[in-house]
Amino acid sequence: MCREQNRAVCGILGLFDSKGVREGADVFPQALDRYRRRGPDDSGIWQDDIMLLGHRRLAIVDLSPLGHQPMESADHRFVIVFNGEIYNHAALRPRLRPTQGWQGTSDTETLVEAYRAWGVACLEQINGMFAFAIWDRTERTLFVARDRMGVKPLYYFHRDGRFGFGSRPGGLSLLQNGEGLQFDPEALRVYLELGYIPAPLSFQRDMCKLPAGHYLLVNSRGLRRIRYWDYRCIKPDPSMGVRSEADLVEELDVLLQDAVKARLMADVPLGAFLSGGVDSALVVAAMKSVGVEHPKTFTIAFNEEAYNEGPAAAEAAECLGVDHVHETLGVNDLLSLLPTYIEEYDEPFSDSSAFPTMAVTRLARRHVTVALTGDGADELFGGYHYYPLIERLAPMVRWRKGVKSAVARILDALPGHRSKLLAGALQSRDTISLFHYLRGVGKDYPPLVSQDLLRNTADSQSWFDQFAASFAMDLTPAETAMRLDLGLTLPALFLQKVDVATMAFSLEARCPMTDYRLVEWAMRLPIQFKIRDGVSKYLLKKVLSRSLPERCVHRPKRGFAVPLAEWLRGPLRGWAEELVHDDTLMSRLPLEKNGVRLLLRQQLAGERESHPVLWSVLMLLCFVQTHAARRSLPALALREVA
Amino acid sequence: MDGTDAPPRVLFLFTEIYAHGGIQRFNQTLIEACERLETSGVVLSLQDTAAVSAARTIPGRLRFAGFAGDRRRFAIAVSKTLLREHFDRVLIGHINFLTLATTILALCPRRPPRALLIAHGIEVWSGIGRQRRFGLSRMDQILCVSRYTRRRLLEQAPGLSAERLIIFPNALAGQWRNAAPAPPGRPLPERFILSVTRLEPGDRYKGIATVIEAFSMLADRELQYIVVGQGRDLPFLELVAARSGVRDRVQFLDQVSDLELIALYRNCLAFVLPSGKEGFGIVFLEAMFFGAPVIAAAEKGSLDVVRDGKTGVAVAFGDTIAIKEAIERLDCDAGLRKHLRSSGRHLVTDGGPFTFECFAQRVAEVFRADTGSGKS
Repeated sequence: MCREQNRAVCGILGLFDSKGVREGADVFPQALDRYRRRGPDDSGIWQDDIMLLGHRRLAIVDLSPLGHQPMESADHRFVIVFNGEIYNHAALRPRLRPTQGWQGTSDTETLVEAYRAWGVACLEQINGMFAFAIWDRTERTLFVARDRMGVKPLYYFHRDGRFGFGSRPGGLSLLQNGEGLQFDPEALRVYLELGYIPAPLSFQRDMCKLPAGHYLLVNSRGLRRIRYWDYRCIKPDPSMGVRSEADLVEELDVLLQDAVKARLMADVPLGAFLSGGVDSALVVAAMKSVGVEHPKTFTIAFNEEAYNEGPAAAEAAECLGVDHVHETLGVNDLLSLLPTYIEEYDEPFSDSSAFPTMAVTRLARRHVTVALTGDGADELFGGYHYYPLIERLAPMVRWRKGVKSAVARILDALPGHRSKLLAGALQSRDTISLFHYLRGVGKDYPPLVSQDLLRNTADSQSWFDQFAASFAMDLTPAETAMRLDLGLTLPALFLQKVDVATMAFSLEARCPMTDYRLVEWAMRLPIQFKIRDGVSKYLLKKVLSRSLPERCVHRPKRGFAVPLAEWLRGPLRGWAEELVHDDTLMSRLPLEKNGVRLLLRQQLAGERESHPVLWSVLMLLCFVQTHAARRSLPALALREVA
Repeated sequence: MDGTDAPPRVLFLFTEIYAHGGIQRFNQTLIEACERLETSGVVLSLQDTAAVSAARTIPGRLRFAGFAGDRRRFAIAVSKTLLREHFDRVLIGHINFLTLATTILALCPRRPPRALLIAHGIEVWSGIGRQRRFGLSRMDQILCVSRYTRRRLLEQAPGLSAERLIIFPNALAGQWRNAAPAPPGRPLPERFILSVTRLEPGDRYKGIATVIEAFSMLADRELQYIVVGQGRDLPFLELVAARSGVRDRVQFLDQVSDLELIALYRNCLAFVLPSGKEGFGIVFLEAMFFGAPVIAAAEKGSLDVVRDGKTGVAVAFGDTIAIKEAIERLDCDAGLRKHLRSSGRHLVTDGGPFTFECFAQRVAEVFRADTGSGKS
């Protein structure tokens, strides 16, 4: 085994070649080095004739060298690289018997011994956020797994007997081949329709994201991708609907506290993000309930009232009695993070709320190494504004086509953005296409990709249709939308945003709401406890009411909004115009140049609000400019679609 | 003719008889039973044509008229026939005809025939408004193809007298019972699982995309998956198979002769149809008759036929992991396969509850039954 202790590096990386690792071995350290921000504390590489494993470590649990990775099992049969945390690892240890006894206290050692004892069934035993790979030196089989909700990212490629995996596509693409960056045309289309790229798609051609709740088995016979956990088929349980509300509030509170308590495991300082909203306040309240006396909490406040959650967060912090830290910025100060944004998101990424997330991460990292967040609550408990809207619009979608068209024409003729959006929504053919329309960034704008690409690729809705094909029967439209968000949007957009933003500043984010026990419970919870009389996250708010006064609980939702439209018309105008008028750059992608430029002109002139899709295009162009140019690659090539 | 043993004169109102589909199969079996019972009367079928019916066997005692989808002509024919001729029973083959039939029955100058409605599946599980509730209250008997259908109707129309809603399950159609063993018309894969269903976008509840995902997770790369069926959702399912990396091992067959289908049933490792909304699931009976172990969803009408571990494997709808594990279990457990083949076949042979003989007996009973007055 080869250890390289003195190199500064991050994340997990691996390369398997049934014919022997040769191609890619020379650039492996360089590729691993791309993950240095993910793991600044330690690094290591392990190799045999057909397997190469690399790891960069941000030490959270067991800070001693005994937590070093790649790590071998006590009997030396298995070698593991692991990114994440196993929250229940201490509870698993008494059930495991390492041949040489426990060497350290890390969850990595627990995980490799769990696999030695239980094989792939270890996945049923562990509760955590993880992406890991375990190499079986005897069977010469690689086992690669990702956590149930997709908190930790994992990318891979498999071609001609070569298999590579990595925490991010940036490092992994160096191992892939000598052809340089080549995009996947379907991923490009999906990205411009949805604003994100759902698993298993990846922007890089022949590269996949391992979907949440899946594992891979790789050996000389090939690759097999297997789902080990699936919330989609869990039915809402009518028997929960007849229980008393107090009973359900109590049960949810206990579950939340348990999920939070599990995530307090750390040998480093730990805190929480706290906005003025429900989700983060619930997490902090649960921290207090389970015995954290003075949790450290962090907020970014803005000078501009429209974006400022600072006072709301401060009030919540005071009521909860926490040690609150805030930093006040001007919204435009966030623009200083643009280079970090472009550098760290090594796949086109269009969620502008990454800016405030990075800002609060930067602040928190000055004080703690781990922070708890409230991500996942909106998808589980009905927090987004469009869930009630879908519930109201879904019956209209079933109207006769002629009636829908007539009403849509009237709405379209009315002034205002919303009536036009509604007119577009009415054209949907079913609940899923309605959700696709409301959730996507493509809306009814003219296609921004070439006709050729449109002809040769499937649309993004087909991914929604495919994912929803296994949903439990008889869900309401809002429940259908929430499950789609939970399985596709949350891991590919929001959890990725948090992972990359926090890892960019070497902070570990933990999301109690993604605890699988909580997810399974929320799937069984009938819709009337999620959205009731226009109140979203109904039951969650009831739980929070135990800790905060009503005025804090029922504040209007703001989210991490940034003034994209104003930025594009103001400080980013020149940058945006330069990007879309760069003919060389535009010619590297199959975009409708004139359509993109027209949309930008309309946006700048205030004729049409299309900043979400424009931002997606700009981030795509930035990505190509930064990441493709860095490697002095040939022009991006359009893959032929079978 | 109530109260006597003479065969009754019946007016049948069908959506369609001679096409693929569960309702069509039910209607075919019903006609066959009527032939055995020497039932006389008139068959009016909205979608069929006279040419199609001529090619098939309509018993001589039954006069047939098809309307090739012409609703107006169908409605006129129903009115004329009901008002001019005498019938002992009118059997309404679909809830969509309920309002038409009850309106005309109300206009009948003489004592109206007893009205029977067949409640199949999805079309009666929801959306029963006031008008239909009234129509249902005018029925002498409602023949529900499954317990689930009966429960859903009673939930939506609680004022109905429960004893007039009887369970009236399907049975195996004659074309299968009388089929002689024959070699398959096309070479079959050595090992395969099978689904037989419509492939329409509105029928995604049949679970084919879920099976494809489960199939892609199997270790056995020699196993094939054959899907028999037609419909506009084929491109979507092909896409799902391609994305799952198994396009080369999933065959979609749209044109299959009965003999070929029998060969497929007989030779498959398992018949898999984890449908979430089967009214009854007549294909399960066909699969069972030809000895295929069945994997179904533990949902709605399927539960009347497939009981987990007894007559098949029942999984939660959409549960890809459970489907994968069920296929693996059947693949490696010859004892389980044998048990399911045998117990499944017993349902459709040797006096089992879904034999044609039982079905014909049930038909005779409802034609004979005098449910008395007291429609509610």
